[in-house]
Amino acid sequence: MNNVQGTGPIRPAQPVRVVIVDDHAIFRSGLKADLDESIHVVGEAATVEQAIAVIAQEHPEVVLLDVHLPGGLGGGGREVIAGSAALLGTTKFLALSVSDAAEDVVSVIRAGARGYVTKTISGAEITDAVFRVAGGDAVFSPRLAGFVLDAFGTAPADIADDELDRLSARELEVMRLIARGYSYKEVAKELFISIKTVETHVSAVLRKLQLSSRHELTKWAAERRLL
Amino acid sequence: MTTALTRPPLVRSSDRVIAGVCAGLAAHLGWPVKNVRIGMALATLAGGAGLAFYAWLWIMVPTADESARRNAKRPASPIAPGVTLDPAFSAVPPPASPSPGPPVAAPWWGNPDAGAFAPGGVSGGGPGAGYRDAVRPPWFRGRSMRHGKEMLLGAGLLLVAGILIAQLLGVDVPLGTLIPAAAVLGGAAIAWMQLDETRRAGLVDKTKADQAGGWARLAAGLALVVAGVLVMVSGSGSWEQTWLALLASVAVLGGVVLVLLPWALKFWRDLETERAGRIRETERAEIAAHLHDSVLQTLALIQRRAGNEHDVVRLARAQERELRSWLFQDPGKEAGQLSDRIKAVGAEVEDSLGNAVEVVSVGDTAMTESHEALVQASREAMLNASRHGGGPVSVYLEVSDGRTEIFIKDRGPGFDLPDVPEDRLGVRESIIGRMKRHGGSASITSTPDGTEVRLGMPALQTDNAEGKS
Repeated sequence: MNNVQGTGPIRPAQPVRVVIVDDHAIFRSGLKADLDESIHVVGEAATVEQAIAVIAQEHPEVVLLDVHLPGGLGGGGREVIAGSAALLGTTKFLALSVSDAAEDVVSVIRAGARGYVTKTISGAEITDAVFRVAGGDAVFSPRLAGFVLDAFGTAPADIADDELDRLSARELEVMRLIARGYSYKEVAKELFISIKTVETHVSAVLRKLQLSSRHELTKWAAERRLL
Repeated sequence: MTTALTRPPLVRSSDRVIAGVCAGLAAHLGWPVKNVRIGMALATLAGGAGLAFYAWLWIMVPTADESARRNAKRPASPIAPGVTLDPAFSAVPPPASPSPGPPVAAPWWGNPDAGAFAPGGVSGGGPGAGYRDAVRPPWFRGRSMRHGKEMLLGAGLLLVAGILIAQLLGVDVPLGTLIPAAAVLGGAAIAWMQLDETRRAGLVDKTKADQAGGWARLAAGLALVVAGVLVMVSGSGSWEQTWLALLASVAVLGGVVLVLLPWALKFWRDLETERAGRIRETERAEIAAHLHDSVLQTLALIQRRAGNEHDVVRLARAQERELRSWLFQDPGKEAGQLSDRIKAVGAEVEDSLGNAVEVVSVGDTAMTESHEALVQASREAMLNASRHGGGPVSVYLEVSDGRTEIFIKDRGPGFDLPDVPEDRLGVRESIIGRMKRHGGSASITSTPDGTEVRLGMPALQTDNAEGKS
């Protein structure tokens, strides 16, 4: 979870508008206090309904979204993303969770979140993650990379037609390094590629995670309760 | 019994004149078919006894095909299909001996052949009983009273026979009282048997068909009892009177049921609610006890140590780990896997040195001796990383078909391996040496941005070979 630290995503000139969705008021205020001043918290919500309303009203750039939320149909963060589907092009979702359960994480990523971090992450790290997501990149924690490797398997794809169901050799390397605790910058250095290329690979993996019709993915996540 | 003779199972033969009974019987008894047929014909002349016997066997004895099918379904049993018997086959087999003839052929209350009317044949006995148990229709299958029903039926039949004989001998038997009484007893027996069955069914399996059968039996038992009581009470054998009384009593019973049904249902529902409530209460108490023992204690400790940030973080992380494993632990998962050990070691290092150890695992494997060495080496690496790195430690475990790899990474200032003094056993002996001895490999990369230890262990078959060499 320390991989996003010090990787230096380009700080946007203007403050990033953020909505925090979490049902614990203590956590929301703590998170607000932790975030960099270049992040403007423009709204907060504690339930699925509130969240969808606030997001529709504020059009934030990034939503920090708890995976488990009361209200709605019980779908939690997944339901908030589905309810804000019209904004998915402009508003990015970053999933926050204490649960660490593969099922929760994979389901919220597949709903459209651009990344996943644990709630124990530090203020600086979460600020970095917000910038990164706002810039269109994906945020992978070592744990999420571990999920991806476990779900997709550690053997590289060799046939083109199951491209969505397998990771390429390069993507596997990137995921492995992230799982080992490497920052994007360190991954780039290790593989002799640019940070931009690392980001491209990570985004490609995220896309596969979201779009893969691989039925094992959901089944796998349901079976694997704790990572 | 030592010179045992194997008898072919009693089945209806396909080589048949009418139904294959005689041929089957001949094969079973080892007699010539012709003799059996002639014997049967002669017996038929003797008051139709042969005919009755033939008809009975026709009904009770399966064809060879049926028998094979049933045998296929039957669970394996220590008693072989061909049951051994004393060669000097006597009319009355000793009760303790396995019942002669194959169980599929033997009706559950006795044996079709010679022993059928002997007492030993009624109760059966020994291991043969369990065998019959398996082929008996499910509603007769019981554990506690294996021979009970057979005995009961035999006793009943004996009683009937006794009464008939007594009547023939001119004794006046009060049939008008006896028959209703028998009906009451029989009905009660059927209903109670049903009660016993449902209790057992609740433990074994609950299928709709069983329940339907149960209800039918309950109804039959009830009807028998009611009819018996009525006839007894009315005291007269008049059919019309009995019929009227029966109708009236059924009407009364229906009325009673109608009145009591809502109460019964309410009572039942209350009982269910109370039971569910009790279960919830137990669960709640268990959770409360756990939270009290763990979380509350830790929170109290954290308050007392509020000044020491290091301690607070350590306590919080330890508590988080404990709670997490309690909440999410999959009871179905096999314990003692490699990833569990690595996580446990990570937790231990985190507790002792205070720096977070984050373990990510992909794949898993059962522990072996060489894996234990891998765990010990990674423990040493984690301790080093936490001690010298001074920050969070990332541990990544990957188990694939070919090999097991563990990466331990910290963000400390790093060191040069050649600079490590020879006498420092930590790195050289506990990590590199240990891995080499167990057929694995270890490498250390250190930069000013951090240090990474990579441990590799080939998969089982290769490390077995290397372990022997």
